[in-house]
Amino acid sequence: MKERKYLPKYFYHAIPICKTGIRRNRFLKTLVFLGMAASFLLVTGCGSGATNTKIPSETTQENIDVDLTKLNSTMVYSEVYNMMTTPDDYKGKIIKVTGQFAVYHDDENNKDYFACLIADAASCCSQGLEFELEGEYTYPDDYPKVEEEVTLYGTFNTYEENGNTYCYLEKAKFL
Amino acid sequence: MTEMFEKLLMYLEYPFVQYALVVGVLIALCSSLLGVTLVLKRYSFIGDGLSHVAFCAIAIAGVLNFTNDMPVVLFFTVASAVLLLRTGQNAKIKGDAAIAMISVGSLAMGYLIMNMFSNSSNLSGDVCTTLFGSTSILTLTKTEVWLCIVLSIAVVTIFILFYHKIFAVTFDEKFAKATGTNSNAYNLLIAVVIAMIIVLAMNLVGSLLISALVIFPALSAMRLFKSFRSVTICSAICSVCCSLVGILISVTAGTPVGSTIVAVDIVVFLAFWSASFVVGGVRQ
Repeated sequence: MKERKYLPKYFYHAIPICKTGIRRNRFLKTLVFLGMAASFLLVTGCGSGATNTKIPSETTQENIDVDLTKLNSTMVYSEVYNMMTTPDDYKGKIIKVTGQFAVYHDDENNKDYFACLIADAASCCSQGLEFELEGEYTYPDDYPKVEEEVTLYGTFNTYEENGNTYCYLEKAKFL
Repeated sequence: MTEMFEKLLMYLEYPFVQYALVVGVLIALCSSLLGVTLVLKRYSFIGDGLSHVAFCAIAIAGVLNFTNDMPVVLFFTVASAVLLLRTGQNAKIKGDAAIAMISVGSLAMGYLIMNMFSNSSNLSGDVCTTLFGSTSILTLTKTEVWLCIVLSIAVVTIFILFYHKIFAVTFDEKFAKATGTNSNAYNLLIAVVIAMIIVLAMNLVGSLLISALVIFPALSAMRLFKSFRSVTICSAICSVCCSLVGILISVTAGTPVGSTIVAVDIVVFLAFWSASFVVGGVRQ
């Protein structure tokens, strides 16, 4: 009678649970399948939370979709990092954020860029969220002092400049 | 208390928090399984050494402008793990000296390469994040999550399949070899698996704290249990619980993730150590 081979011989010595070759094979397959199924369900079940797409018609304080002021520093840093790496998930959403006011002057374009800086819990890293105020404002008269803590909200969007994609809050307003 | 619970429920709705919990639990499980073997073979600090090699590999990958640094990191880490572990007890340079040599050398070279060739706008921040993993686990992409899941399943499957051989090679490599076990091959397998776990664990706790993830659950379990199987099971449960609690505390209280997990590990170790005086150990 032809010997049925399920797995290499050393496998039978390795597995502590089952005794017969048939049950070992099925056990292994079941284990791997259950593990992958559980992982698949866990991962695909994610993503139904705070970043569901929802596009309001107007940038007002009542329509805020992502309120970063309610989160602690670790969460804020992570959320802003995710905004920068997956901006399409946040386009059109109204974001409210608190951080340090920062400004950068580009000599090439002769343009000022304004941002709100958020540091992580260890304060060794920071993420900047650029914003553009709604209406006519001049720097430095109509803007806060550098490093002053500010709270603002605006609609998340992206723009292209010199071949790079940048994220920013348009139609932003200070609170 | 209710307010904190509601806050936690709100945080759990964020996808990146869910990813962090899934990956954190899997990494903790994998590191605890091999942690028992490493502690018994007196290679407790190999996690530290290999993580510093991975840090150097990340620096090299950054300089060479690789979009995905995982293959480079895995290659260098696996090579170093093989160098350190495959030779087993017959190495000319023994465990701790070899680990120290590779560890400090890689850390120094990695930082030197980053300083000389990096084009990052925040070098200190990048180094800090890699070393301490303050928010790395909360900034995973879906691809990275899937990769972690697949590697974790592979590690657990290998451990279950080769449990008896790993046990034999851990406790008495020479006897295992004398009875016909190919101990060199199993040392190589352990080395490759450890390298994979180290690369994954860097996302959770950073380079400097990886040893805690490997050592503390095993040592905690050894306070109360005496058999290899019971220590391994207890170590796995401990590690998963500590990782879960650490991530939840970190997310709720706004503390760095890696340090919080290690702090929880320390508390659990002290609790087990105290319990060992009271209970006197559970005999199998």
